Amino acid sequence: MGLAIIIVRVVLQVVFVAGQGTTVVLPLPGIMLPSWLAGIRLGGDITAEALLTALYDGMRLAAIIICLGAANALASPSRLLKSVPAALYELGISIVVALTFVPQLAADVQRVQAARRLRGRSATGLRALAGSAMPVLEGALERSVALAAAMDSRGYGRSRHVPLAQRRAISVALLSGLVAVCLGTFGLLSAGTAPWLSLTMVVVGCVACLGAAWVAGRRRIRSTYRPDPWRLAEWCVLGSGVIVAGVFVACSMVGVDLATPTYPPEWPTLPLAPLAAIAIATTPVWTAPPPPMLRRTSPTAELVSA
Amino acid sequence: MTTHAIALGRRSRVAIGLVTLVGIAAFVWPLVAAPHSAAIAHAGDAPILFAVLVPLLLVVVLAQLADGNMDAKAIAMLGVLAAVITALRPLGGGVAGIEPIWAVLILGGRALGPGFGFSLGAISMFSSALVTGGVGPWLPFQMIAAAWVGMGAGLLPALRGRRELFLLAAYAGLACLAYGLLLNLWFWPFTAGLPAQLAFIPGAGPLVNLTSWVRFSLVTSLGFDLPRAALTVLAILVAGTPILNSLRRVSRKAAFGAQPTFEPEPATITLDHVTGRMSA
Amino acid sequence: MITFDHVTITYPDSTQPVLRDVSLTIPEGELVLVVGRTGSGKTTLLRAINGLVPHFTGGTMTGRVEIDGRATSTHAPRDLADLIGVVPQDPMSGFVTDTVEDELAYGMECLGLAPEVMRRRVEETLDLLGLADVRSAPLRSLSGGQRQRVAIGAALTSHPKVLVLDEPTSALDPGAAEEVLAALHRLVHDLGVTVVLSEHRLERVVQYADLIVIVPGNGEPLQVGTPSDAMRVAPIAPPVVELGRLAGWHPLPLTVRDARRAAGPLRDLLIGRTPHLRPVSTGERALAHLQSASVSYGSVRALRDVTVTLNSGEVVALMGRNGAGKSTLMQSLVGIGPVPAGTVRVTNADPRSIASRDLLTSVGLVPQEPADLLEATTIAEECRAADRDAHVDAGTTRALLALMAPEIDDRMHPRDLSEGQRLLLVLCLVLAARPPLLLLDEPTRGLDYPTKARLARVLSDLAEAGHCIVLATHDVELVAEVADRVVILADGEIVADGPTSDVVMSSPMFAPQVAKILSPQVWLTVDQVSAALGSHDPMGAAG
Repeated sequence: MGLAIIIVRVVLQVVFVAGQGTTVVLPLPGIMLPSWLAGIRLGGDITAEALLTALYDGMRLAAIIICLGAANALASPSRLLKSVPAALYELGISIVVALTFVPQLAADVQRVQAARRLRGRSATGLRALAGSAMPVLEGALERSVALAAAMDSRGYGRSRHVPLAQRRAISVALLSGLVAVCLGTFGLLSAGTAPWLSLTMVVVGCVACLGAAWVAGRRRIRSTYRPDPWRLAEWCVLGSGVIVAGVFVACSMVGVDLATPTYPPEWPTLPLAPLAAIAIATTPVWTAPPPPMLRRTSPTAELVSA
Repeated sequence: MTTHAIALGRRSRVAIGLVTLVGIAAFVWPLVAAPHSAAIAHAGDAPILFAVLVPLLLVVVLAQLADGNMDAKAIAMLGVLAAVITALRPLGGGVAGIEPIWAVLILGGRALGPGFGFSLGAISMFSSALVTGGVGPWLPFQMIAAAWVGMGAGLLPALRGRRELFLLAAYAGLACLAYGLLLNLWFWPFTAGLPAQLAFIPGAGPLVNLTSWVRFSLVTSLGFDLPRAALTVLAILVAGTPILNSLRRVSRKAAFGAQPTFEPEPATITLDHVTGRMSA
Repeated sequence: MITFDHVTITYPDSTQPVLRDVSLTIPEGELVLVVGRTGSGKTTLLRAINGLVPHFTGGTMTGRVEIDGRATSTHAPRDLADLIGVVPQDPMSGFVTDTVEDELAYGMECLGLAPEVMRRRVEETLDLLGLADVRSAPLRSLSGGQRQRVAIGAALTSHPKVLVLDEPTSALDPGAAEEVLAALHRLVHDLGVTVVLSEHRLERVVQYADLIVIVPGNGEPLQVGTPSDAMRVAPIAPPVVELGRLAGWHPLPLTVRDARRAAGPLRDLLIGRTPHLRPVSTGERALAHLQSASVSYGSVRALRDVTVTLNSGEVVALMGRNGAGKSTLMQSLVGIGPVPAGTVRVTNADPRSIASRDLLTSVGLVPQEPADLLEATTIAEECRAADRDAHVDAGTTRALLALMAPEIDDRMHPRDLSEGQRLLLVLCLVLAARPPLLLLDEPTRGLDYPTKARLARVLSDLAEAGHCIVLATHDVELVAEVADRVVILADGEIVADGPTSDVVMSSPMFAPQVAKILSPQVWLTVDQVSAALGSHDPMGAAG
């Protein structure tokens, strides 16, 4: 996906921002768009500068995507959802339910589609897919009611009784926090208000409503079975991340040149401090604890066992 | 008639309203911010501020919605419909806006109420991002925009039959376009390297920026937004009635918000044979 | 422990009460069996115990239901969760997480127990139910019996005093059903849990029950009694009880062992008589033939070298453990699933080469999940669509349905039907084109005795008309009633293929109760015995 982003970025650059710089790499015809689109020139000569700018931009975006993608792949959603704060417990459960249902839905679609043949209808093609949609949807909705009954029977949703005064206090904190955020945002967007005032209002408001949400969440009775341990390995990973972030921020403030200039194009230089930071960033490869592997039986065994 | 799977109390409604205000601001600030405001002065940092603010506010409002209003039935229904949306999302392959999920979101919000639609939009965006690997700084903005789409469907006036279908189809077209345009607005200010006629210029007035933005949208994302809107409208017109019917049938069976009635055992009347009087 | 005091329950969208003036007391530590037809209200009774009715479903409840001093009118189901554990009919639909351990712990998490307590109880429950080796397995990969045990374990970890189960063994093969029932027996006798369960297959459970509650339906009063009392008058009873009633044994035996002790005189009376078997029509022709057929799902071989011929006019029962390959065999006969190696021929054609449009004229299959085939919103529409798909005159399917299940209303939504009615509907949809070969995959899951009898009659009539019927089932009693031939599959191979009496007599797992009682004589059903006794003085006159 990172590669796709780089390519898209380069193409965009080539199409829209043409003609800057002087080193021509590939001459291309240019199209002038009509003036109501402000006479943008599409195409034109592809220049090295433009390419390089696009490349670096694209690489930056791609790096972000790759990091997030790696985090996504390594973190198991169900483990993450175990540590969801109490205030979001219900929503965490619904996401767990959703993620558990998706493979069942996929299996249902396959089964229902194959079963169309049993009624003398075609089992392949778009028509078959459309025809299987309704039975699968209805089956899933019926199962959701059965699931709700089971959850109720197992004690889902127990909560402590909260006294009226506390509930009022939570409401007040929540709503006034939100109002503060609102006002602060509008302050930031309008001329005339001092920016520090608006910013403080926003921050204070956020804290107030987050606090209210957290307190409201505490009324739920719930414990966690086998919470993930947080030990030295986890601190190491966290620490390396923080250190790297810190170094980069310091560099940009101090003025070490991190970006490669493109006008005129030069070879990239390698300053020392950021390099060291990157080296630290790779330490989690060794220090991070291995993710627990679920014992997975082959999918065909699932098909065969009734 | 709409069943309200997730009831919206006064506190929830105010909270959603306020968060919507701030959320809209988070999207449209490049266009409406006054030229000498703090936002424009730090145009490079404003996106970061909003990128942090929006998820926090989402957390707050979703927690508020869930607080005591979501029983097991709502959670299970939310989970199942979010699963349907999650399963549908990879189908389009990201090609030119083929996103079948919007029809399901809008019909779900219509059948089960605005509170449900709001939560469904946010949750299903999150879970489908987990599955398709699309987790990134854009996710909270997608979540809140999808939540608005779902909520709006639930707030539409009550109609029945074909009129309802046309109303929903019209809403779908508008909502999909609006979603696309809003998300465009989100990443427009920091898309570097655009020609001046398309780019965001912090100092220029709102009108100049508006025209630049319109041109930008026309040129880049209309190729995504129009097919998305067209597909959703088509899906609703074709499959809307059966899907709505089955959602409504199941929500009737599930008896959302059912209030059980308990009657005490009827007192037995005994006749006293001696005095001929009756007593309970 | 459990008290119902003049309880009347009416659902929100109906005028007639489902349960009327029910008064019942269940003492602690008993195993209670609730018996009744589908739709009679037994599910309502079970759900009223933990308060799902009326808190979850809505409705009006008069009277009082009290469990260990707590009344359901003042306690919602979640408040009773530490006292009552519920195991739903389809365990997969009640699972919230995706691994065994997490599922066992979920109930405790909801109750807010401390992590050390949870840890200890999870280990205990894994041992109690024999799940220790699958503890971290994903739930989707477990067998039916294992899933049922996980569901029971998940209900047990909160240490409830009452356990309520809705048809726990309906989808299980006899071996898995035995395991589950033995676990329940242990719970009652070792741990003193009060177990209330509903079951259609009485022959499996009646010997374990301490108390039987019969729910006649239509608001009629319940009949409660010890098993021997209740079975004397119950409208539906397992074969051992029916044989006892026929032969006039006192006291009425409930287990095969007790019946064998009393069966001496009956066996003497039957010496020299043979059971009257249904005549197999002589115009036999081979309708389907498999020759060395093998089907593999990836690396798993579901069918190995299977050779079998299916002839017209016979009813063949396909039996075997879950996962032995019965469904795969049937699917290969309709051209679904992986391409088989070897030859598969249905009416001299490869089923995969038959277009879907023409398939129904050769072979019809009613799958394990009949609802997969239902797409329309009313039954009338479904029948009309079936007429179109089968290229027959309009109204054929509807007429068939009226014959098989006359009480079904045209305007109902197909998914609102009971399991048995849904099965009959799908059977009609498949029969519209009169396929000579008819396959049914596990049709008796969740069917009560009257519907099963109806199904048996329909199948016998079809066989007499020349169809070949293949039934994949665990229900030994149905097989004894209706099948001419039994094929047993194990691990993808055929291990037995012959006339019913030969095959079922050779293995205790597949022998019906009557056969076990009257062995070494070969009698399979009570009807056979009563027909043989018919023209002579019945034993009952002496009893």
